[in-house]
Amino acid sequence: MSDTTTNWSRSDDAMIERSIRGGASRRELLKLMLVNGMAMAAASTVLGRASQAVAATPVKGGALKAAGWSSSTADTLDPAKASLSTDYVRCCSFYNRLTFLDQAGVPQMELAESIESSDAQTWTIKLKKGVTFHNGKDLTSDDVIYSLKRHLDKATGSKVAAIAVQMTGFKAVDKNTVEITLASPNADLPTILSMHHFMIVADGTTDFSSGNGTGAFKCKQFEPGVRSIGVRNPNYFKGGPNVDSFEFFAIQDENARINALLSGDIHLAAAINPRSVRLFDGVNGFALSKTTSGNYTDLNIRMDMAPGNNRDFVEGMKYLVNREQIVKSALRGFGVVGNDQPVSPANFYHNAALKPKAFDPEKAKFHFQKAGVLGQPIEVITSDAANSAIDMAVIVQATAAQIGMKLDVKRVPSDGYWSNYWLKAPIHFGNVNPRPTPDILFSLLYKSDAPWNESRYTSEKFDKMLAEARASLDQAKRREIYNEMQIMVSEEAGTIIPAYISNVDAVTEKLKGLEPNPLGGMMGYAFAEYVWLAT
Amino acid sequence: MTTSTSSGRRGIRLGYRANLVGISALGVILLWVVVALFAPHMIPHSVGEIVDTDYFGPVSRDLWLGSDYLGRDIFSRILMGARYTLGISLAAVSIACFSGVALGMTAAVAGGWLDTMLSRFLDALNSIPSKLFGLVVVAAVGSSIPALIATLSVIYTPGAYRFARALAVNVNTMDFMVVARIRGEKLPYLIASEILPNILGPVLADLGLRFVFVVLLLSGLSFLGLGVQPPYADWGALVRENIGGLPFAAPAVLFPSLAIASLTISVNLLIDNLPRRIRDRSPE
Amino acid sequence: MRRQISSLVMRRLLIALITLLIVSIAVFSATALLPGDTATILLGQSATPEAVEGLRKAMHLNDPAIIRFLKWIAGIFQGDFGTSYANNVPIANLIHGRLANTMKLAGLTAAIAVPFALTLGITAAMWRGTLYDRIVTVATIGIISVPEFMIATLAVLLFAVYLKWLPALSFTNETKSFYDLMRTYAMPVMTLTFGVSAQMIRMTRAAVVETLNTPYVEMALLKGASRPRMVLRHALPNALGPIVNAVALSLSYLLGGVIIVETIFNYPGIAKLMVDAVSTRDLPLIQTCAMIFCLGYLALITAADIVAVLSNPRLR
Repeated sequence: MSDTTTNWSRSDDAMIERSIRGGASRRELLKLMLVNGMAMAAASTVLGRASQAVAATPVKGGALKAAGWSSSTADTLDPAKASLSTDYVRCCSFYNRLTFLDQAGVPQMELAESIESSDAQTWTIKLKKGVTFHNGKDLTSDDVIYSLKRHLDKATGSKVAAIAVQMTGFKAVDKNTVEITLASPNADLPTILSMHHFMIVADGTTDFSSGNGTGAFKCKQFEPGVRSIGVRNPNYFKGGPNVDSFEFFAIQDENARINALLSGDIHLAAAINPRSVRLFDGVNGFALSKTTSGNYTDLNIRMDMAPGNNRDFVEGMKYLVNREQIVKSALRGFGVVGNDQPVSPANFYHNAALKPKAFDPEKAKFHFQKAGVLGQPIEVITSDAANSAIDMAVIVQATAAQIGMKLDVKRVPSDGYWSNYWLKAPIHFGNVNPRPTPDILFSLLYKSDAPWNESRYTSEKFDKMLAEARASLDQAKRREIYNEMQIMVSEEAGTIIPAYISNVDAVTEKLKGLEPNPLGGMMGYAFAEYVWLAT
Repeated sequence: MTTSTSSGRRGIRLGYRANLVGISALGVILLWVVVALFAPHMIPHSVGEIVDTDYFGPVSRDLWLGSDYLGRDIFSRILMGARYTLGISLAAVSIACFSGVALGMTAAVAGGWLDTMLSRFLDALNSIPSKLFGLVVVAAVGSSIPALIATLSVIYTPGAYRFARALAVNVNTMDFMVVARIRGEKLPYLIASEILPNILGPVLADLGLRFVFVVLLLSGLSFLGLGVQPPYADWGALVRENIGGLPFAAPAVLFPSLAIASLTISVNLLIDNLPRRIRDRSPE
Repeated sequence: MRRQISSLVMRRLLIALITLLIVSIAVFSATALLPGDTATILLGQSATPEAVEGLRKAMHLNDPAIIRFLKWIAGIFQGDFGTSYANNVPIANLIHGRLANTMKLAGLTAAIAVPFALTLGITAAMWRGTLYDRIVTVATIGIISVPEFMIATLAVLLFAVYLKWLPALSFTNETKSFYDLMRTYAMPVMTLTFGVSAQMIRMTRAAVVETLNTPYVEMALLKGASRPRMVLRHALPNALGPIVNAVALSLSYLLGGVIIVETIFNYPGIAKLMVDAVSTRDLPLIQTCAMIFCLGYLALITAADIVAVLSNPRLR
């Protein structure tokens, strides 16, 4: 089991399942889990789920109803624009990607038959044959080129324009083969193509409201900010989903979401608060699914302006953050202590040898004194917009007060937070969604000219290493470089990443087949086509 | 009706007749005022400090009212919250009712274009959603307690105005008003001496109710980012941030609710049981 | 008298148009004051300057806001409410179903809350100072001092989670029979009734008590007229003006103020639509919603003013 005991992963579940098959008693198993630091409540729930999974074979039929947590009139079925989990779930049910990531984070083929390259710069993608869109049209290389090229057009408003920009050449070799040329070699292309924004739409589509894709469900109804209903696609190339129909909407209020699940109105309530886990303890008929996929909320100190331009201030803040307490009190154990760099333990390239800075108020005080800021009020911007940021701010504030450091925590509206405060305020909180590769994380967040360089970190050496690792097809070498880069970010940048936050979805026990995925909760948002409803 | 002007009859207190309910309501309010004034010296734990490793903890010897969702002491947080809930709500409701009632009576007595202009302007003001209003204030002047008080006052003035005006319009048609006008009395005299005493009862009742609304909206605006900043929180915000404890009947959500109820019910009972001499003055 | 009322209505209609214009300008200025526009909000964390520029151009947001606003106003006069910035759907389509939902919920709540509140308010005034009066007062204030989200959550916990009598969510399009309708609306209507009744109860009581104190009524009571009779025959008609105003103010809350009920019961109405519109800076949608709230409010207070005039002969 991993050294971070609270990180209950699917492999742990698998181990439990094996033990059950091997005849371990419930008591022994509970003990095993408790030794590993799991709260009693969570332990018995997880156990419930594992013993169910043993005797499971998919069943066809049923109307699946699930609730996410955010939805508005800006809901969209345009994969390029997708911004909320709600959009991701819908896009996953109506469209497909060329590749997708399995539980272990390894890219597997979806619409692509194969993706190959000899130099990591020119890639040949062969498409599966016999795939059709909901309107009956065959999937061809033109659809793929159209779908990928859209991201380069500023008018599309793509969320991944910064990543897509490296694709410079597109060529339809034949009806089922596409050749993509990159600006510079990038061995990660198959993983990049598994991102939700790179879903394949039909050539020439400009109105996305009908959700015409190749996916498991056909869109029957879509009302932005209200709900979507999809019905089984009988021609689905993977052989059709288990359920007959799939309804998805958002219940923003967390209590209301859980209550809807408990009362039987829905089958899945996404992203529940760790404090609500207790509600499911001793209640039969429900299970929890936990994913730690690399989502994190970070405290950013801009190093290009006061007080962050003083290195001692940044050092002091790093010692001041009580990571253990944040995981324990703010996240209630549903997170893993972080070490100030963005590559999470769920990632293949995570540097497990890199230990987080220990909490040390005395050292913090020493650095603050040296920086000459002790006793001066320092403003820290926080907002509900970033998951748990207010709780984290309050925890840091309370520790700071004990050493005579005054932090003025300022809560600002989540409305417009990303455009007004994030990246702008001298000290502020940010929130970063899971991204599949270290290359994407570093390019977007830490490269000297990165668009979201939260702490304004600049290092020529870092930029060079990034390019070097990207071009290499040698996995061992990449690992070595990425390990080194994680240490650099952890020690040199001004971003404090106290924890990787787990996502917990609650489901009725009738819902089977739900598994964690490195791309996020709800099976990387793609659960609808895999799960089934037991009768 | 003639009011008893001489003291010395049934149940005298400061020259006013008062009853038990009114006095106990006043007692509760005064208690909270004392708490608000001396809270920093009374709290057993710092409001931001995490003192319990558990969350939504039960009532215990150390944590008198249990712990909140982060494990902070709820008792201390309620005591400090009294300052915000009491101070901000009283300030906001006083400003809103004073301006609303004064404008309402003026409009009713003056009539004509002034009445029309005022009424339409305040109707328009009332039509702007409070969330939009709150966000605009944060964007324009930033977040501060005075900004919060001003926002709450502006939101609740039109309602106070409309109700006071409706009452005053009725009084304005009475014979004694006609007589006073013929006497050549000026507007301020008419408002203060003839109208106000006749609408005071309902106006005070309206004030009591508006106080409840302000106490509740206060936390909503704080969550928008306007006003009370962490680690401090007003009572409404305490209820809101601990609402996850409701299914467990956590003290962290029950006690702040009780605090709100004790204050708002007392304010309204006090108004209902004010000595008749204050409440029901009628023209001599 | 009829002429007077119709002239009042005509005058109010004219004034209503002016009020709508003022509100529209105020809402426009407020929106303009908010930081960010639809393009930056939609792009969120991906809002690099070039990306924002490109999207703005594609969404035709490059015109100055004031020009877009004037175009929208011009459109209104041709019955065109414009197109939503956020999802390119005509505003009329977005509003249509949700407005109907809001009206249904508001109508049902009003039908229950108004008679309920007036009865309690009048009886409390009639038996002023008695135990009954005290209970009504304490219960009324007690209930409204509980935040609405707590009442709604408690109701769901009790009726949906533990007793399993009612669904936790209110899906209007799945109601086929009257029984379904009752089940769907029971909790939202109950929550809202608690919220809006308090003001009506308290104001009715206060206004009736006030008129009971007038020398005329006191005299009649001294002469031996019965109290209930005095309340119904004399006090109530005189107190009607303030009462209908309180009713109008309370009911106006049912249009735009029900955001919490809409969120908790997942009931698609226009309050949530307005909140969405504000957070995406969707100007045509904000404006249309604001117009609807304003119209509803004006209709209610105009009705209140008419009743007030009718009830007081001296105002005619």
